[in-house]
Amino acid sequence: MTALMPPPPSSGYALVNDLREPAAVANIHRTAPDEWAREELLLAKLGARGWVRVHHFRNYYGPGWGEHVGPMLSPRALSAFFQFVDVFTFPCGVVPSVFFTDRGGIELCWEDESHKSVQIEFTRTAAEFYREATGEEGALAHGALQQLLLRLSS
Amino acid sequence: MKDIAVPEAFPISIPERLPVRIEPCPIVEAIFEARFVGPESWVTLPGLFYAQVRDKYTEQKNLPLAQIPEEFRRRDPALQHLPLMQFLSKDFLIQLGPRVVSLVTKPNAYPGWLAIREELDWVVQRIKAAGFVGETERLGVRYVDFFESDVFSGLRLHLAVNDQPLLGAQTDVTTVLRRGSLAIRLRVTNGAIVGTAQGPKPGSVLDVDAWFGPPEADLFENGLVRFGEAHDTIKGLFFGLLKPELLATLHPAYV
Repeated sequence: MTALMPPPPSSGYALVNDLREPAAVANIHRTAPDEWAREELLLAKLGARGWVRVHHFRNYYGPGWGEHVGPMLSPRALSAFFQFVDVFTFPCGVVPSVFFTDRGGIELCWEDESHKSVQIEFTRTAAEFYREATGEEGALAHGALQQLLLRLSS
Repeated sequence: MKDIAVPEAFPISIPERLPVRIEPCPIVEAIFEARFVGPESWVTLPGLFYAQVRDKYTEQKNLPLAQIPEEFRRRDPALQHLPLMQFLSKDFLIQLGPRVVSLVTKPNAYPGWLAIREELDWVVQRIKAAGFVGETERLGVRYVDFFESDVFSGLRLHLAVNDQPLLGAQTDVTTVLRRGSLAIRLRVTNGAIVGTAQGPKPGSVLDVDAWFGPPEADLFENGLVRFGEAHDTIKGLFFGLLKPELLATLHPAYV
């Protein structure tokens, strides 16, 4: 990731020369305001690959992607995704894969301790999950995060 | 990096009693912004929106960023939430981009919160009727204030070196604070140039941007309430930052 994000410009004022942004440095990525904690969380739990993929899903997929009908990533889905990643403990050594779904959701997939697949898709309104080990599947509202954690750990 | 902790308590004391008016008014511009995702591509947005506002916002103009090809803009995340067009009325302007729409006061002509709230109510209804906002990504309020002097000496905020305030040097400070579910980016610089009716003037700028993200923000369900909350917080923060000496120069009126 090489983009250096400047602070949002304002038509109201300009900085004097000495205070202006220096030229972009290729290896420095500046987070958007208030995004630092989220960026660190993604790097820690999804690795560099997952971090880049989420960045791409958020920024590079406009309306009509795919077969000209794909919606943009839902901000509510993304918010619920971040809440889950923050509190869930993935099995030791497991780095989940992350996908952008064709209904504007974001999906996490990983293997549990018994090497069985676990999938959760965060959509605009709910988290839909499937556990191969138990065959259980269901959908929970974003407000039911604790319930989701229980269902995945039981 | 763990040492960059978010302070538990809000670090700025907000006065219980706030002025209702100050003179001279330092507000250069105030921006009330909604970021969104939606089903429409950029090419259709200006037409959908202009049809809703043209009776009041009769003039429209492209901003320089509109000259950059869409493919380039989409590749740079820093450009994605910037407006490409303006619609102008007598007292306000509306800025529109592929993922952003904002109501902006005219430069150096702040009309007061009551007038803004009334206009916001109208604009939000027009946006809803245009039908291009699928989901709200962020609701934000930004106030830019200008002072002709070095504002750091008049603020309860400074940059310190060896525990001594660094005063007199060109300085630009940006920090992000949290107050409940509101995120606040505070920027103070004493090296700004502002365009005024008398020409460009050098001085200091206090730039505060406060916003709600999902799930707290929904332009059509609670947009006006959220804009009001952000406005109130910015107002309190502004007066909480000012030392009495600087406040006195603004001749505050409390009734």
